[in-house]
Amino acid sequence: MTTRLKVFFPLSLLVVLVLLLPISVMIVASFQGGDAGFSLDNYRQVFTNHYYSEAIRNSLGIALITSVFSLLIAIVGAWSLTHLSPSTKNMFISLFNMSASFAGVPLAFSLIILFGNAGIWQALTTALHLPRFFEIYSLSGTTLAYTFFEVPLGILFLFPVFEELNPEWREISAVLGASPFFFFKKVILPIIFPNIIEVLILLFANAMGTYETTFALTGNSIVTIPTLIGTLIDGGLTANIPLACTFATLFALVMTALVWLGNRVTRSKREVAA
Amino acid sequence: MYHKTSTYWARGIMTALFLYLVTPIVVTLIYSFSTSWVKTILPSGFTLKWYSQLITNADFTSSLLRSLGLGLLTTVIAQICFLPVVFYANVYDARVKSHLRFVTVLPFTIPGIILVTGLIQLYADLPIPKLLILVLAISLLSLPLTYQALDNAFIGQDFRAMFEQALVLGDSPLKAFIKVILPNIRAGILIAMLLTFTSAFGEYVLTNILLGGNFETLKIYMYRLMQSNGQASSVLTTIYFIFLALVSLILIVIMRHYAKHDQSSQKGTHN
Repeated sequence: MTTRLKVFFPLSLLVVLVLLLPISVMIVASFQGGDAGFSLDNYRQVFTNHYYSEAIRNSLGIALITSVFSLLIAIVGAWSLTHLSPSTKNMFISLFNMSASFAGVPLAFSLIILFGNAGIWQALTTALHLPRFFEIYSLSGTTLAYTFFEVPLGILFLFPVFEELNPEWREISAVLGASPFFFFKKVILPIIFPNIIEVLILLFANAMGTYETTFALTGNSIVTIPTLIGTLIDGGLTANIPLACTFATLFALVMTALVWLGNRVTRSKREVAA
Repeated sequence: MYHKTSTYWARGIMTALFLYLVTPIVVTLIYSFSTSWVKTILPSGFTLKWYSQLITNADFTSSLLRSLGLGLLTTVIAQICFLPVVFYANVYDARVKSHLRFVTVLPFTIPGIILVTGLIQLYADLPIPKLLILVLAISLLSLPLTYQALDNAFIGQDFRAMFEQALVLGDSPLKAFIKVILPNIRAGILIAMLLTFTSAFGEYVLTNILLGGNFETLKIYMYRLMQSNGQASSVLTTIYFIFLALVSLILIVIMRHYAKHDQSSQKGTHN
């Protein structure tokens, strides 16, 4: 019993100190009104204030578009990756890992050099007399920026699933007289579909929680839930930490439910398959 | 014929993905060597002066040291927290693993910006050094990487038998762990440490919001430069990328080295 205690002590201490306690205090604070009594006022504000609903709309919009779009590219990418030789495969996996870690300030800066007001893209479109149809500091620019880490992340999640598909299955089903479409619908899709849903949820949640890239790219001109929370915490005069806690509580609640649901989808399918 | 055309397609798609992901990085690299590159298609000339300017800057050195320190401390704490638990789960009680699964989705359900809100609410007015809270919080957020890398290290060998034999032969549990288990999971520990270190080294959200401008790490310095000095910022971004590339290279070397080890002991099962 004592060894068991010793084994779990450091991790438990860490989880209590910087996860359970802060999150509990955060949830309690989200119900705090101006006079420190219990109140639902913060929650009412979240859903009625126009500026706040703009943040929610922006976050949902960007996250939905990037996650779906990145997932589609990631499916094609993961499929392609399985067709490469082992050494090229490993090189690409390293590249995807690096791209995923490059997210944030470095990515935002690179994209500003490329697409910013004094950037190369700008020079190119001016030289070619093209209309300026793309602005990196805008909503669509932010959406594009997210794909630079969402696509590699999606491929890294999906690749192991695609690797497990056995190429012999296709031959077997062809020998048995199945059409390629039937094979895809009855063999491949049931295996990969739950994983695709799970990866979609993870990509969506990841985009919803992105702060660094958005903040570095647009300052506070594009407001999303994370950048709004950032402003509410250290925004000087407009700082309102209980309200930040309300947003954070709602965020954690919705994302936990979503991720849990995604997990259920894959697990129940696996159990049926087994 | 089917296989040929699909390989052809796969190569085309991967080339396109490669170009798309690498272009911003390559452009930043070229920018860092350019004398000036504003509103032109090609830079006006090449120089190394931005590099010498940044590297001799005291702000750069101190922010680098802060990030290195943060990375090292986090790596040590993450190992202390997880190594015993992952060992226990793999050797004695696999049920623990299903409880640990919550850790792997933590960055998605409670990302940095959410966690930092709770930390500020709880610790803002308490007389506990913020730096300590920061190190602990980064360790927590790096746990998924640590956990998965460590968990992979325990695949494929009967560690329970090894450990219990050492105990029977009279070693204390700690001594048995160091003598018998550690040498066999070296690769996994190294990989876990490198991944944790990288994530802590590049941390931004927690550091920025928890400590504000009082603790300028490499990323926060990078953000400050980005606002004021594009050339210096491009140099720093390039250096950061080279750091990431080096870490990947080391990871590949470790995995190759140990994969070879495995192959020589169980020839024929691979390839």
